[in-house]
Order: sequence, then C-alpha cells, then structure tokens
Amino acid sequence: MSLKLHCPRTLASRLSLIFLVGLILAQALSFGAQYYERFQSARSTMLSNMQNDVSTSIAILDRLPAQERLAWLPRLARTNYDYRLDDGDPGAPLDAEEVPVAATSISSAIGGAHPLSFSRFPAEKKHFQAHLRLSDGSPLTIDVRPAMPPLSPWLPGVLLGQLALLIACTWLAVRIAIRPLARLANAVESLDPNAHPVMLDEHGPTEVAYAARAFNAMQARIAAYLKERMQLLAAISHDLQTPITRMKLRAEFMDDSVEKDKLWNDLGEMEHLVREGVAYARSIHGSTEESRRIDLDSFLDSLVFDYQDMGKDVQLSGKSAAVIDTRPQALRRVLVNLTDNALKFAGAAQLQVDTDDSLSIKILDRGPGIAEAELQQVMQPFYRVENSRNRSTGGTGLGLAIAQQLAMALGGSLTLSNREGGGLCAELKLPLR
Amino acid sequence: MEHVDHILIVDDDREIRELVGNYLKKNGLRTTVVADGRQMRSFLEANTVDLIVLDIMMPGDDGLQLCRELRVGKHKATPVLMLTARNDETDRIIGLEMGADDYLTKPFAARELLARINAVLRRTRMLPPNLVVSESGRLLAFGRWQLDTSARHLLDKDGTLVALSGAEYRLLRVFLDHPQRVLSRDQLLNLTQGREADLFDRSIDLLVSRLRQRLLDDAREPAYIKTVRSEGYVFSLPVEILGASA
Repeated sequence: MSLKLHCPRTLASRLSLIFLVGLILAQALSFGAQYYERFQSARSTMLSNMQNDVSTSIAILDRLPAQERLAWLPRLARTNYDYRLDDGDPGAPLDAEEVPVAATSISSAIGGAHPLSFSRFPAEKKHFQAHLRLSDGSPLTIDVRPAMPPLSPWLPGVLLGQLALLIACTWLAVRIAIRPLARLANAVESLDPNAHPVMLDEHGPTEVAYAARAFNAMQARIAAYLKERMQLLAAISHDLQTPITRMKLRAEFMDDSVEKDKLWNDLGEMEHLVREGVAYARSIHGSTEESRRIDLDSFLDSLVFDYQDMGKDVQLSGKSAAVIDTRPQALRRVLVNLTDNALKFAGAAQLQVDTDDSLSIKILDRGPGIAEAELQQVMQPFYRVENSRNRSTGGTGLGLAIAQQLAMALGGSLTLSNREGGGLCAELKLPLR
Repeated sequence: MEHVDHILIVDDDREIRELVGNYLKKNGLRTTVVADGRQMRSFLEANTVDLIVLDIMMPGDDGLQLCRELRVGKHKATPVLMLTARNDETDRIIGLEMGADDYLTKPFAARELLARINAVLRRTRMLPPNLVVSESGRLLAFGRWQLDTSARHLLDKDGTLVALSGAEYRLLRVFLDHPQRVLSRDQLLNLTQGREADLFDRSIDLLVSRLRQRLLDDAREPAYIKTVRSEGYVFSLPVEILGASA
C-alpha cells in the first residue's frame, strides 16, 4: 500500500491546513515552554522543600526516644517519600552517572551528620532508598518514589477548547477570504456580454472591492467593444445602402442586356450580404424585442401562407394547439432562414410540428443534404459547404448562423441532420412553457 | 386635360432623388425633388401634391418627424411613402405608427417604388378609409379581437398574439377600414393587392375563408364577415380605435 500525500486541491483546504498546522504548532510550542518552566520551578521548590523536610525529620527522629519513633513516622511521611525504621530492601547500587537529584539533595541535607548509602530498584523507575543509621545506631530508611505532581484535570479540557477555537477561527478566516473569490468566479463564468451585465457588489474589504470594481469595469469594456463592433457594422451597411440604391436606380435606366442582368444580380447579392451581416450582428448582440404570448398554429399558418402566396412550395403538417411565450420576430426569422435554405437547395420545404415534453418544429427538404462531417460547421458564420451551389445561388453563409444564434437566444436549440432517403432536416426545439 | 399625379420626393442624397425623379417622370408622373424638411415645408406652403416619398434618415428633421408634422397639418390627407435605410423592423413599425401609408427598404428598385406609389394612390383614391389610424391609436377593436396595425397581428381577449399572413392582414385591414359597407370582390382584390407587386392571384373567396378561420368565425353563421349574395362581403361589426396597448 502506497501512502502518498497529495496537496489539497482547493484553496480553502490549503489555507485551512496552513492556518491550522501553524497555529497548533505555535500553541504546542508555547505550551511546551510553559510546561517545562513550570516543571523546573516545581522541581527546585520540591527539592529544597525536601532538603529542609528531610534534615528536619532526621533531626526529630534522632532526638526522639526509640520507642516513640514509630508513632511519628506517618506524620513525617510525604507524598513522594516516607521513613521506615529498618535496613530497607536489598537493591542494586546507584549508578554513578545517574544519581537522582532527590538523592543528591538528601545527601546534602544529612550527608554530613550520618553516613548514607543508597540502593535502587530497577523494577520501578526512579524508586530508590537511602539507608542511614541514627545516632543510637538504629537503622532508618528513606523510601523515595519521585513523581511530579499530577496535571490538573481541567487542563486537557482547556486544550481541547483551544483547539476548537482554532478550528473555528480558521474556518471563518478562510471563508471570508474565499467567498468573494467564489463570487467573482461565478460572475466571470456567467458573464454574457450579450445580456444585460450583472454588476458585482463593490462593497467589502479593500481588495475585494477592488477586484469587483475591476471586474465591473472589464464587463463595461467588453460591452463597449461589442457595441462598437455593432455600430461599425451598422455604419458600413448603412453607408453601403446608399451607393447600392444609386447603382440599382442607374441600372434601371440601362437598356435591357445580359450585362444589365448580371449587374442587377451582383447588386442583389451585395444587398443581401449587407442585410445578413447586420442581422447576424444583431442576433449576437441580443434582441430588444419583448417576449409575447403567441398562438403557434396561426403563427406557422401565416408563415406558410405567405410563402404560398408568393408561389413557393411550402407545406405545413401537424398541429400543436400550443400557446408559447417567445419573441415572434426572432422566431419568424429562424423559420424563414431555414425555410429559405430548404427552398434554395430543394425547391420545396415541409414544416412539421410535434409537441411532447418540448416543442419541435422541423423544416424538411429533399435536397442534397450536408455531409455528416460538416453538419456542425455549417452553422458557423461565413462557412460554406464544399461543392455547394451556395455561391451561384447567392448565399452569404450567414443564414444558418443567424438561425442558430436566435434559436439559442430564444432558449431553444437548432440541430441539423440528414434524412433517410436524402434531404436535410433542421429541427428547432423550443421550451413549451 | 388628364390629371397627372404629382409626387414630391424628399431625400438628402442628390443622386438618389434625381434618379428616382427621372424614373418616375419617365413613367408618366410629375415629380418635384427637395433635399430636406425645410425645402419640403416651403414647397408645400404654395403647392399640393398627390403623394410624398419621404426618406427616414436625413440630417436635420428626419423623416419620422416630418411625417408626424404632415399628419397634423393641412396635408394630412396626402399619402406618405417612407424610404427606410435600415433593415430593421422597428423602423417600419415606427414609420407606420407615424401615419405613413407604406414603406420601402433601401436599396430598392425603382420599378418597385413605382408599383407601391400606384398601389397607395389607388387604395387611397378608390375608397378613402372611414377610420384614420394614428400614432396614438393603433389598435382596432372589433368583437372579441384587437388588430395591432403596426405589428400587424391580432390579439385575443387574453392578449395572446394570433399571427396573420400578409394577404390576410391586408384583407382584414380593408374590412376594418370600411366597416358595415358592402365591398365587391373587385374592390377587395384591388385594395388587397399592391404591397407585393407579384402577389399570387389568390381568389378573394379563399382569402375570406382563411380569415374567417383565423377569427374563429363560423362560415355558415359568420359573425364578422358576412357574404352578400352576388355583391361581395360586408364586415358587419362596429370597429373602434383604441389607444396604444399597454
């Protein structure tokens, strides 16, 4: 099993980790230093107390008559050591290198008055005994079990509380630091220069406010660029319309000839391109048209009748009996572009309406269709299918791009597919409600 | 002497107005060309014309403003045909709301302009409408329907939009402009045609039956468009002009 440490992925977990580890280490260091200091001072206090105690106790026992000594023993006993009136237990001699500090203080307390000998008991760490003889020759043993006074029972509780406080503060700090970042990321992701800009709140800590202001300014700049592009397109197209109008008018004064017809066709193509260019720019820029509730059947009927009245072969099949909320001019434009396309390549178009969970309007033709590999690309602006008759029929390569843009703007989707038995199927799906 | 229609052309582009003027002259019309609103006003002080061709995009007073001005002055009955330079639906709608009788998008062919001029003249001469739709009142209410004359669709009682084909709208508009008046098939055909010069010659009867369907009118017991045996049709309900919809 290989344990590999991974750097945490999120900024939040990284920050939390750094904060937590750092704070816990710092806390542990300061606790350790304090504990050590306390240990040292407690020990020296204890030792000097012990020194005084032991010399006093020995002096008391020395002076007492032998028969009274036993009664005094419990009164002289302390937590860490007591006195016994015997030769003690047999043990190993003390290591010269590892003389316990307590033994040294006992020696310095009574070493002068009474000869001392020590023995230790490896079974119990730090346990040792000091043996001596009182002035009357009777034996005395000091049994020492050094131990630090126990920690207060509330200390672990306080430590746990501190840890909890650390975690809570870390969480809060990281949250405060991360939240504006997440908000900014959300705003950037949902940034749609075509829609109305959603301004970020410019309040909060200095850095956050600065980032929000920078983001809002960037949004405004993008919108301005797009608007400029639109205005440029509109200006070019407007300025082109005047010379095209003049040329068309002049062409009408020419005598009928092949040249006149050709000129007329070229002018028609230019005019078409100018119009489609503006329409495409508008479709990208989003529409100001309001959404209306429309009766779909009459909408499609009227569209098809308009084609039929111009002598075009356009048929409608299916009834939806649906009333939908949509932008009628945009929807009409999508359907007109798709139908014009079908008429151009197949000479006839069939509209088919289906409703199940969503609304589907199919525009079907029996034309040459589009190679599978190119089905996606044809919806890109200015893309022309290889070997298509597009050029000769005066297409701009924008019709499908406009249709797709508008379909998306209507909350729907446009997909192209080849039909069984030849021909193209353009399916527009729209939400029903 | 036979009356020759006098057309006033207002366009800031010298070449366009002269080319248009010459073309119309060549086709038997009398024309006057002016460059802007100031010249138009001074010409109309002393003269009357049969139709005004008005460019929308002009420096100074634009076409929409001039059209609005014409509609309240002494020339309010003179038909106006707008030339719009933009391929934009809103321009068309505003133009028609301002009281223009028709519009044409630049670039246009001169012969199309001629056809439109003739159609507008025929329409306004043959049967002057009983009702004048204006900027403030563009909704025509009848029965349980309303017709939006700028967006060219019907609205039902709930405000749901019911679309009309071009021919259906024109026919309904003719009926609503002349309510409770018997119109012959010839009159209807003449008044309905003209927007598209190459309109497929559909019979009026078929168009009327389509319109009845659209209005949910029972063909056997029609409430809106009644058949008058051997004479034609009559729109039998009163029509009311409403203010702009909210």
